[in-house]
This record gives sequence, structure tokens and C-alpha cells, in this order.
Amino acid sequence: MKATSHHIRFILDNQWVELDFQQSENIRPSTTLLNYLRCLPSHKGVKEGCAEGDCGACTVVVAELNTNNELEYKALDSCLVFLPMIHGKQIITIENLEQHIGKEIQLHPVQQLMVENNGSQCGYCTPGIVMSLFALYKNHHKPEKEVIEDALTGNLCRCTGYKPIIEAAKHACIHQGKDHFSEKQQEIKQQLLNIKKDNTSILLYHSEQLYMLPQNLNDALKLKKQYPNAVLIAGATDTALRQTKKGEIIPQIIDLSQVEELKNIEITDKSVIIGSSLPLEKLKSGIEKSFPALFNILKVFGSLQIRNIATMGGNIGSASPIGDTLPFLFACKAVIKLQSFDTKRKIPIEDFIIGYRKTAIKTDELIVAIEIPFIPENVILKSYKVSNRKDLDISTVSVCFRLQLSNDKKVKEIIIVYGGMAVQTLRAKKTEAFLNGKTWNKQIVETAMEILYNEFTPISDARSDKEYRKLACRNLLMKFWDETK
Amino acid sequence: MNANENQIYHDSAIKHVSGKSVYINDMNAPSDMLHGKVVYSPYAHAKILSFNLEKALQVKGVHGILSYKDIPGANQMGPVFHDEPCLAENIVNFIGQAVFLIAAESKEIAAKAEKLIEIEYEPLIPITTIEEAIANNQLLSVPRIINRGNANDAMQKAKHVLKGILKTGAQEHWYLETQTSLCIPDEMNEMMVYSSTQNPNETQAIVAEVLGIPRNEVIVEIRRMGGAFGGKETQGNHTAAWAALLANYTKRPVKIHLFRDDDQVMTGKRHRFISDYEIGFDDEGMITAYKVNLNADAGATADLSMAILERAVLHADGSYFIPDISVIGKAWKTNLPSNTAFRGFGGPQGIAVIENAIDRMARFLKKDATEIRFRNFYGITDRNTTHYEEEVENNRLFTIFEQIIQSSDYHKRKKEIAEFNSKNEFYKKGMALTPVKFGISFTTAFLNQAGALVNIYQDGTVLVNHGGTEMGQGLHTKMQQIAALELGISHEYIKVNATNTSKVPNASATAASSGSDMNGMAVKNAIDIIKLRLIEIAIDEFNKKKHPNPSNAEDIVFHNNFIFDKLHPDRILPFKELVMMAYLQQKSLSSTGYYKTPNIHYNRDTGKGHPFHYYGFGMAVSEIQVDVLTGNHKILRTDILHDTGKSINEAIDIGQVEGGFIQGVGWCTTEDIKWDTNGKLLNHSPDTYKIPTVQDIPADFRTTLLKDAPNYNTIRQSKAVGEPPLMLAFSVWLAIKDAISAVGNHEIEPDFSLPATNEVILKSIEKIKLSGK
Repeated sequence: MKATSHHIRFILDNQWVELDFQQSENIRPSTTLLNYLRCLPSHKGVKEGCAEGDCGACTVVVAELNTNNELEYKALDSCLVFLPMIHGKQIITIENLEQHIGKEIQLHPVQQLMVENNGSQCGYCTPGIVMSLFALYKNHHKPEKEVIEDALTGNLCRCTGYKPIIEAAKHACIHQGKDHFSEKQQEIKQQLLNIKKDNTSILLYHSEQLYMLPQNLNDALKLKKQYPNAVLIAGATDTALRQTKKGEIIPQIIDLSQVEELKNIEITDKSVIIGSSLPLEKLKSGIEKSFPALFNILKVFGSLQIRNIATMGGNIGSASPIGDTLPFLFACKAVIKLQSFDTKRKIPIEDFIIGYRKTAIKTDELIVAIEIPFIPENVILKSYKVSNRKDLDISTVSVCFRLQLSNDKKVKEIIIVYGGMAVQTLRAKKTEAFLNGKTWNKQIVETAMEILYNEFTPISDARSDKEYRKLACRNLLMKFWDETK
Repeated sequence: MNANENQIYHDSAIKHVSGKSVYINDMNAPSDMLHGKVVYSPYAHAKILSFNLEKALQVKGVHGILSYKDIPGANQMGPVFHDEPCLAENIVNFIGQAVFLIAAESKEIAAKAEKLIEIEYEPLIPITTIEEAIANNQLLSVPRIINRGNANDAMQKAKHVLKGILKTGAQEHWYLETQTSLCIPDEMNEMMVYSSTQNPNETQAIVAEVLGIPRNEVIVEIRRMGGAFGGKETQGNHTAAWAALLANYTKRPVKIHLFRDDDQVMTGKRHRFISDYEIGFDDEGMITAYKVNLNADAGATADLSMAILERAVLHADGSYFIPDISVIGKAWKTNLPSNTAFRGFGGPQGIAVIENAIDRMARFLKKDATEIRFRNFYGITDRNTTHYEEEVENNRLFTIFEQIIQSSDYHKRKKEIAEFNSKNEFYKKGMALTPVKFGISFTTAFLNQAGALVNIYQDGTVLVNHGGTEMGQGLHTKMQQIAALELGISHEYIKVNATNTSKVPNASATAASSGSDMNGMAVKNAIDIIKLRLIEIAIDEFNKKKHPNPSNAEDIVFHNNFIFDKLHPDRILPFKELVMMAYLQQKSLSSTGYYKTPNIHYNRDTGKGHPFHYYGFGMAVSEIQVDVLTGNHKILRTDILHDTGKSINEAIDIGQVEGGFIQGVGWCTTEDIKWDTNGKLLNHSPDTYKIPTVQDIPADFRTTLLKDAPNYNTIRQSKAVGEPPLMLAFSVWLAIKDAISAVGNHEIEPDFSLPATNEVILKSIEKIKLSGK
């Protein structure tokens, strides 16, 4: 690397904050944004409810430049965000929303409407909810009910029953996103642009930790070669839990969240190539038409706060048996593009996932992209996810079906891929073999269901017992048939 | 007074939305504050053979590690029965039981020290289910029994009899703010305790007991909790006692703020119940006999289990008159955290059984369950006494029923659902109407008392202190409104203080939905006393001018920030001026107030009495759709009509109704708690414990408060609203059952339990399908 820098900078309370972790005892680079904010005297409004991104009490909004260098406002769970991830961004917390005009305090429209609609009771979730509403306010000027609900799915409230909060959202968003932030938008944009121009990768040293924040792919590859044991993160929604829940201090981290080359989405005539560090929410808005089966999965993937930082690279790299996108990628015959400083290679997803949280990646490699071939028109692709709670819940069972029928309604090709049924994402190969060549009718499907029922030996855990998994796994085939007959 | 005085917003609303509400964890920490950590048992049942703290104590930044040996007072924190050690001695009885306390300069240092504590356990066999507890005769205390008539004889004579077992699950409170306390030692033995507690008086008592000091050395204060729902009625005491022990030992301020997973592992839940029942009835669905055994999982200690069981027994009747009835309640000890109060306090567990039994009767008789419910409602003039012989006065079941049947378009939709179900194989709809009748008062009669202290200052502003605590329910807002209405001044001049045991002593827990009823009356009482003094001064002032018709005390009115003679409205003084006059005339502008709920008594031995001041009523109609292939469900529409008397604050009451209902929906559907056979909690974080999100509320959600329904003999004719709406969620639970039942064309009784998770639903459906084959 030509040059490196050793500090991060971000805007908080309309001021630049510069953090250099070398001398610091209280904070290290992987200190979460939540813990950092709560150490400050004036940001106690941000609350910890769960420290795992499931409740949203810690929601803050970041304003950052998108690829067109426009400011975008995103809600994040600050409990999952390591400080370097906010380098070059503006952090907006609950304390920043109101406006002081002389001695008068004027609430932001989302705050005012939360008051007027009785949207708070105990108030502990309220700052997080207000921040989610603020992001909604900035991004949607006439949101449908579905958009409002999506914006609030990541915020648990135990008191109100949510109805008044939905009402507040409906009434708040009529101001076309205008507020005191719009007035300062150009100024902030310019300031962030100046930082963005500086393409210098950042190495943050601390007595217990080396945190690397490469700003380009070349530096990232070099660093991975040099530090093969470093943990790779992009959104860190999974890795952060090792720290927040288990108290683990990860000695070396390479954070790919600021490598622009990994955030592209490229559409060729044969496939879509998704950058591994592209946040899933961006991906979701990009593939609604081309891959409805993926869109449907992403709709119930975590919450908006999670999708704003979580990436497909992370979902694949962590190789969880309940990774939500994996069955889809298997069924699409997706190809993982890997790169090290010296080599490049491609590997089919099915060969990439090799066991429980195990992949075929080498220690010097990064997942750079995922290539998803387009599905021929006569192929049907459908995904389903079954979970105890429909939203913001981890799959009990998930599946993706890929079906091609011949003209005489016979199965030409079927691929059935399950999550949650084994230690890794797996195809139901016996059931596939049975169905291949058979007529796609209810009777055949019913017979196939019995094969499917016995194909896996899932476990019982906190989410479900094994019998339910087997039943749901079996029945999803019928659901697929019902929707494709 | 403002015309909209009954429509003010929550007194903390602006602070909530701007992040300025201060919870204990947000208080400015004293610079020498230490962080407390609780080290708890990893075994559900084990002997402690030995322990050694030496290595852990050597960690830099550790200022103390305490075991039971270091407790200066009594090693006891049981609220009713003294069966709950503050720190385990020779034996541990559940996973999550506190064994040691660490005070350190940071949480990380405390965690480091914890790993260095050496302790040797000898694991014993744990009891982790009610069934095992029954088999091992682990009865907690004498059963609670209520009999009326002769249920055995009546059952024998009954035309039809159905028997069954219903399991209802535990529920985690999932208050957003976990258990928290900050204790600051003051001179000599004094201890200032900030505690997220619903019961500051009891927290004060327990802190004093563990420290071995009199109660007048301890002050407990709580401004607001970030939710409680019963979970901080007794178990807030624990964290306060632990923090106080550490603060007393180190002589430095100590804060304990439980980590979410620790909170879920360590604290008690809503009691699981297994209930077996027998119900006798005739061809028309009139219930003639009912026998039920309610078996509660108390957990490792008594906590409030017997009171909760008692409320379950008192609510076994639901909303129905049952001539011959036998209710037996037993609480069983298990090696799990001690289960505790949770909104409804046993009522939901008692009511669930009868509602499910009626649902079964309907299927058996091939009638609509709603019709059977209606037929069995308590009567207005006859059939109107409960099994414990309290008359159901001001019965609003019929009024509510008539209105909600209309407003929900019940009969038309019932037909449409049947039609939908006949046409769809993989989706089924269901609908149910369920009522709630909920007794208001503490069933432990002496708890029905409250105190207040109202101070008026020379500038005319008012500070209201009362014994109730604010947990989001809007109690302080209602107290502010009551004070404003009684003093005839704008609510802006009134502030409700943080609850503090040195201002109002000996208060009962803010629980049993009684917060507004009791504290409201106490506040009014205090104000009435001050008003008498003010009236005297006003009359003296008005009568100075020697009118031919002098003013009389009974004609003096407080209104619109003025005080005047209603017969001579020109004799008028601004409130503020009158206050200053009182001060100058050396009259006290402060008074305590007191209230005890009248005519409450209950004899536990005979199971008879008048335990409730009155009843809260409500009804809900819910329609749901079940995915027959996965067991997933969604709520399509819910109509609620609830009786809050003459509401003091409609918006707050609607918030309680909707919030309580959704919390009940969580208990009835997705909130599944599992312990493994070692007594280990499997759902110890929101990752696997699923409370409702915004997506889980009814797609069409209509809530109405019953109109023109003033209550009698309560503060401003209002009604308690905290708990009753939770039980309206049975409409969702039984609508799900109705949809499952549709799979078998309503001819087969579905397997059913609570919560109806997608797992329960799908298995029930599969069983029906199999028996149909």
C-alpha cells in the first residue's frame, strides 16, 4: 500500500470527530457505535435493548454518499456497528432531531407526530423507533402501509401494540422529507466528498486489536495475504455478536465495507454479478423484477436496519445452515468469484459450502462477487421461508425450488434446496431423482412428499422440534406444486 | 381548566421522543461508580462443595467479590415467604441463581474476574417440568380450593361431559429496559437506591434486610421504568439488593444493569400451567358442572406464586355462571427461576381453560361457540354470583356483546369464512369472540391501600407524590390530570414526582391494575384536605366586604385556574394569588392523602368473600388465516370493545387495551419458552424468543371504548385497564383453533395448547388429516 492512515473521521453533532485508537484504553476499533455513543455525556438517548440487532432500541441514522455521490439516510442498529464502519459518514442520533430556534425547541415532524399519536408508553424503544421513522421520512414521501411496516419491523415495542406508531408514520411523511437536515445537506455532502476523495486505506492499531479498513480492492487483497488469519467482515451482523454476546475480542479484522469495487451490481446478458459487499437492501431494490424468488427472501431477511449493512458475501461466507439466501443461490447454480492477491477463481456455490459454517475459501482469498445466471423463461423458481415469527426471525426451514417442465407436463429438471434441515444447505437429491421425468401432478407430488419427509434428519432446537421441520419441509413441496400447477 | 384536560399526552411523551427521558442506566454516573456483576449458577440443581475467590480478587480493577458469607443482614429476598436466598449458600436450585457478586471498574474487568472464580458443584437431579414436580410431590404450599354446590353430583347428572387437559406456556416479560439498579452509599449506613421496581416499598424493605439496617436508612427512588408488566413487581428487588450489597461493601456507588440474555436466564416468567378439567352441559350448551385442577409451575421459590394461583382460581369461571363448580389450584416447585407476576397475574391461565372447554362444547354440539358463551354469561338479576359468592355487579357483558356482534358484522363474516373454507384446501380461516371479566383489587386485602403527598409551592405550582410507579402505563399522566381537575388548574402547573419511599411510605406495588384507582383516590384525598384550607381563606377574603349574602364553603368552586363563589361569580381569586395568601397566613400548602379500597375481604379457607371492588369487562372478535401446509397464521381483523368506565384519558386507555391485547397475542402465538431437561433456558435472547413485531398485529385493528359507562365509587368514575385486555387475545388463539378445526370440517377436536405456534398448529392439522384418512 502506498500510504496508510491511522484514524477514522465522522460527523457527529455537526462536528468532525477524529478517533485514533492507539492510546485509548476505553475504546478499541471494534467498540460498537452504541457503546461509543453511550460513553458520551450527551447521547444517552440511544438505548441498548439486546445487543444483537433484534430489537432496534439502539437505532441511529447514518447519512452517507451513494455511488452517485448523493446523500442517503439509512437506519442502522448501532449495537452491531464497529466504529470504523462509520468513517466518512454523518451519524444522526435521537438528540440531533429537534431544532433549537432561539429559546424554543421545535420537534422534528416524526417526533411531533409520535407525541400526537400517543406512540410512546414506557419510552425505552422510542428513540430507536423515532430514528427508524426519521429514515423513513427522508426516504419516502408517501409510504404505503407495507413500506411503513418494513421500516419498523426491526424495532420491537412491548407496550403500544404498534398501531399509534404506524399512524404517526403515515402522517409524518407528508413534508417531502424537508427538515433542518435538508438545509445543511449540501454542506455535509461536500464535507463527506472531501473525505471520500482520499482513497487511503486505514490501519487502526490498538493494544489488543488490529483493525484494517481498506479503501480499495487491491489493498484489501494485500492485507488478506499479509494477515491470513484476519477475520473478514463487511456488515459484521454475524461477527459482531462474537463480541457483543460472548465478549470475544477479535485480534485482527479486515473490514470490506468501504471497498467500492465490491459493492457493484452488474447485469450482463447471461447473469447478474453481485458485489460481495453490496448491502442486501440495495440488492433487494435491484433484483425485484429479475429475481422475484430472491426478492421474496430478502423481504423477510432480518430487518431494514440489518439489510442496510448485511451483505450476500457475509451470508455465504458464514455458511450457516440457515443462511437465508443460500437455497436460492444453490437453485440458481450461482458461482462464487474468489480472488487473492495472486489468483482469481470461480467455484459453484454447491462446491463452495462444504460443511457446518465451513467453506472452500483459502486464507488469502476474498469473496469478491456472486454470479447468478439468469433463469430461462420456462423455468420456475420459488423460495419459501418458514419461521416461528414471520419477520425478523431466523428460518426454521427454508427452501428454493427450481422446476422446468416439458410440454407434456413432465419434470424435465427439478432442483430442491433446503436450509435448516441439516448441518449445511442441502439439495433433496432423492426427491429430485424421484420427480425427474414424472408427470407434475398432485398424486406424484404426494408420493414425493413421503420421500422428502424421510430425506433429512434435522435437529430439535430452540426454534422448533425435528418433527415440525420434517413436516414443513415435506409440505412446502405441496405448496410449490399448488402455486405452479 | 382546559376543555381537553382529559386528552393530554403522556407526561413524558416529549422527553421520550427526544431521547431525554432518563432511565436508571442513563443517570449521570458518579465518577467513582463501579459496575456490579452477578455470577450465577450454571446448574439447575447442585450442591456447592467449595469455592475460592482469591485469583479473581487479584484482577486489577476488581473492588470486591461477595458470597453469601459477606451479607451483613439476612440472606433473604423472598417477598412473601422467606424462602429465597439473596446469594446461594450450599445449594443452587435453578440456572441463573445468584451465587457471587462482583464490583469492578468496568463490565469487562468484572467478566474477566468471573472466569477466575473457582467453584465446585455436585450436580443433583433437577425437576424441570410440572409433571415431574407432581410425581415427586413438590407441592409449594396448601392448595387453593373453591367449591360451590356439588360438582361431582352435578357432573354425574350432566347430559354431556367433556374431559381434557390444557397446557398454557410461560411468557418472558421482555420489558425493553432490563433489570437495573444504582445504589449510592451515603453517610454511615444510609443507602440511596435507584431501582427499576414496581414496588419501591418492598425494595426498600429487602435492601434494609440484606444490609441489616432499619428501613429508615434506605431510600428507594424510581422515576420511570422502561416497561415492567409484572416482571419488576418482586424481581426488581433482587437487582437492587445485589447492587446495595456491593455498594455497602465497597462504599462506592454501584450499578447493575443486567445484560439481556442474563435477564432472560435469571428472572422468572409467567407461570406455566397444566390444567385438567371436566365440564358438564346440556343439549343447548348450558354449563351445569365444571371441575378444574389448575397446576402452576412456581419455579424454585414461592415469590408471588400463591397469589397468582389464587387469582387463577378466582378466574376459573371466566365470564360464566356455573352452578356447581369445583376449582383446585396447586403450585409446584421446580428447578427453574421463580415464576412471577405478569400482566393478568394468573387470571389468563384460569380463563384459558374454560374458554377452551366452551370451544370444545361448541364443536361437540355443532353450535357456534359464541352462542354458547352468550348463553352462559353471568346474569344481571339472577345467575349473577361467582363461585366465591361475590355478586357480579354492573355486569356489562350483554351490552358489550350486543354492540360488538353488530360492529364486527359477526354473523355475516362467519358465513363468509365457512364459504372460504369450503373452497380452499391450503388456507383456512377462523374466527372467535371471547369475553373478559376481570376482578379489580389485590386479592390480599390489606394491599388495597395507597398514599400521596401533594405540595403546593408559593408560585402556585404543584408537586404530586404518590406511591405508584410509572412503567409506561401513563399513571403519572392520570395523576397529573386528577390533580388538575380537582384543583381546577391547568395540568401544566402540575408535576408528578419520581416515586420515592421517603415521600410516600408503605405503598403497595403498582400492580393488579389498581395504580390509577388507588393512587388517584389518595391524591384526591390530599388535595381535598388542602382545598378545605384554601376555601377557608377564600371565604374570609370574600366575606371581608360584609356582603348581605356571605359566601359559604359549599359554594366555592375551583375552576379554570380560579377559585370563586358559584352563587356570586364576581367573588373570585386567581389560584396563584390564593396560594400566596395561604402562605402569608401561615397555612400549610402540603398534605398527605390516603385511600383504602372499601369492602374488600376474602376468606382463603372457605374460598368465599368479596375480593374485588368491581370487574373490568371487554370483548374481542378476531379473524385469522392459517396456512395449512406450514402452520403459519396471520390476523386478518380484530374488533375490540372494552369497558374503561368514564375514561380519565382515552388515548392512554386505548394504548393499554391495544398494547395488552398484542402482548396477549404474543403469549398465545409466537412466544414459546423451552427449557431442556437440564433446566437450561433455550430461548434466552430475542434471537429465538419472538415477541410480536409491527407485522404481527391485525391487518385491520379496531379498538373502541365502551361509551356512557361510568363506574361507581372509583376515581372520577373510571375503571382499571392495565391487565384485562391481555385476555382478549384468546379471540386470536381460539380463532386459530377454529381454522384448524375447519381442516376436519369441524368434526374432529383439534389437539391444541397455548401458545399456538406454527409447530402446534401444523402438528394439529396433520393429526386431523391422518384421522380423516
